[in-house]
Amino acid sequence: MAVRLGVTPSRRLVAAIAVTVCAAAFPCAASARASATLDGGSVVFFADTLALFARDGATLALADGTRAHADAAYLDLKTDRAVLAGHATAAHGAANLAADAIVVEIDTNRVDVLDAANGTVTQTTHALGAAQPAAFDAQRFAFPEVEDRGAFIRSKHAVIVPHADVRFTPAAFPTSVGGFPVPSYLYTFSTGAGFASSSLSGATFDQPYGLWGSPHSLTALHARWEDGPGAALALQQQIVSGDDAFAAASFDAPLHGYTVRGFNGYRRLGSRYTAIADATGTIFGTVMHGGFTAAFGPAGGRVDYTRTSGGLSTFDAALRTPDRPLIGGATWRLKGDIGFDSLRGGLLNQLPDRRRYATVWRHGLDFSVATPVVHVPLGATLSTTLDAQRTWYAFPHHFDTFGGTAFLTKPFSRKVTLFAGYQGTWSADVFPGTQALFYPSPSTPVLTPDGTPYYGYAAFTGARTFRSQNVDLQVTPDASTSYRLTVVHTADFPQFNGYGRPQWEVRGDVRFRPFPNIGLDVGRAYDFAWGGTRWVPRWSFAVTP
Amino acid sequence: MTYALLLALAAAASFRIVPLACTGDRLAVAGAGVLRLADGVSCAAFVPGRATAIALDADGRATPQKLTQDALPAAKIPRTAFLLAPAAEQNVDESQLVTSTIDVFVPPRTPPGDDVYISTERSGWSPSEVRMDRVDARHFRLTLKLHRGARVAFRVTRGSFGNTERDAARALPPAHVALGEPDAHVTVNVAAWADID
Repeated sequence: MAVRLGVTPSRRLVAAIAVTVCAAAFPCAASARASATLDGGSVVFFADTLALFARDGATLALADGTRAHADAAYLDLKTDRAVLAGHATAAHGAANLAADAIVVEIDTNRVDVLDAANGTVTQTTHALGAAQPAAFDAQRFAFPEVEDRGAFIRSKHAVIVPHADVRFTPAAFPTSVGGFPVPSYLYTFSTGAGFASSSLSGATFDQPYGLWGSPHSLTALHARWEDGPGAALALQQQIVSGDDAFAAASFDAPLHGYTVRGFNGYRRLGSRYTAIADATGTIFGTVMHGGFTAAFGPAGGRVDYTRTSGGLSTFDAALRTPDRPLIGGATWRLKGDIGFDSLRGGLLNQLPDRRRYATVWRHGLDFSVATPVVHVPLGATLSTTLDAQRTWYAFPHHFDTFGGTAFLTKPFSRKVTLFAGYQGTWSADVFPGTQALFYPSPSTPVLTPDGTPYYGYAAFTGARTFRSQNVDLQVTPDASTSYRLTVVHTADFPQFNGYGRPQWEVRGDVRFRPFPNIGLDVGRAYDFAWGGTRWVPRWSFAVTP
Repeated sequence: MTYALLLALAAAASFRIVPLACTGDRLAVAGAGVLRLADGVSCAAFVPGRATAIALDADGRATPQKLTQDALPAAKIPRTAFLLAPAAEQNVDESQLVTSTIDVFVPPRTPPGDDVYISTERSGWSPSEVRMDRVDARHFRLTLKLHRGARVAFRVTRGSFGNTERDAARALPPAHVALGEPDAHVTVNVAAWADID
């Protein structure tokens, strides 16, 4: 639900822009010094091969003062090796040389020089000192053949930070019907796990735009479309230490709605342990969470503590067995946990002496069984899961859940497959002797969102049912294209006319590649006859390289 | 087989090359070596860094040709034609698109209605970058068209960072790699998800 703050959208927009400007003036991430720049009449970049090609006069300049020029240049970001081809020259201070082709190692101090007329190769350094004869290694002089029109980015100037990122100024994303230009684009190719982290909430669409980067940090602006608030602008700072640790902090400012501040941190502690921390702040308050996971062979455990600014805190310590064989390839697993919920002033508002229950301990067991994917008649496959849980509280209260899933796959051909699924969950919130106190019959009918009375709600005394059936038809005519049509029906309790999940949903997804270097994934969903509306459409949209 | 016979056989074919440089009657071929130009052939016919085709005469001298699909790779040029020792490895044709298949097997307790995505550096690690096609309840597949020589790092998610894959110790695993080689294939067994267990 969007909350109006009494701030006009234009002010919200101004605030979002102000955040961006402030971030630009005071970058949190120290931008790493560029090690090389590549200029040319045209500079094209291929994202999957991490290759840059400069043509129509290419100039490579290193941070140490070495400059090289040639008709064309190829720079491999995977190996930090540049090949300058045709009328190649290089200079460093007063030293200079000319050759048919030159190879410059950006990250190491090596230069290879090819003189085709004499059939010789010599090796020197960035300082272009005395050259030594070298063996001819043709692979060092490799210059791949590419079609420039298939490039991901077209530019004229690239600034390279080895093992981190490359900034293009300007940048255009070429398509067969023209290019989409931006003044500047930062492409980060560090693979540290933290660069994939986020402290932003999920969004229907999220396109990051890198502002500053280094091998260990990235500051990025995110253009987002969020369910509810709609368009939003967010700023996120990531600090990364390889795959072992990261910290991400963000500020999310929807144009209509309230801002959300987020933090997410992670640290791997040896081969068995990890520590995690995250926090979210809104106008409603702050939620902070810390956790710790441990692996004991294939078994494991975790500890979590969550605290809100409203005074609610929860603690949970859990242990799980590994998946153990049952019969016929099925496996079982048991999980046990213990913890407490705590709230200043008491948790159980329904009781006259609720202050006695400021902290309520609980413990639980969760037993689950999973079958393998097995072949069934008509060439189909089936897999199922069953799950049963009970949580006991240090008060006459327990909560039971029983759930099951079944998933059927029927391939009709290599390109057409039908899926059918069933999910059911039954839960009971049981207060022995005091059930009516915690689940009283409403004195007036519950109203659904369009004002319709929901008389059936009076039958709800703590037992819920969630059941859904879905049928998906998937067609994949080629590697780049996929169509999927999904119909979902739910039969829950309580559920009625906008209260609970929609009873019918139809969804269509198309993934296709309209241009060689750009793919689209577009989804459209309809909830039918729910909450007094004929249908409620929703879009999902993603752009892929 | 004699050098002359090798060259005679090569004379019947054209070779796809990327010129590095051309000076006088010498043509440097990327990833290969240095050839001699045939009499009367000018260096103006070659643009450094742009793919072209050549034919060899009986003396191993190069003449520019129209680039056709059936041109042989530079690696097929006989060693005897080179003035400077060639490499055995061929120059990579990165204009060629190859298919690379990713198969992902998810753990039994993966919610059956959830989609599975791959996330790569190409999108700034968007967690819902490319939706995978479902093969069955616990098997997903995606075929990528990559440039030959590509090396794409990726991770597996269920659509957001909060449900990214974890290893058996519930730690973030290193990125997987899909290679741009003909019929390349990588299989990923997801041990756990960040939001489950």
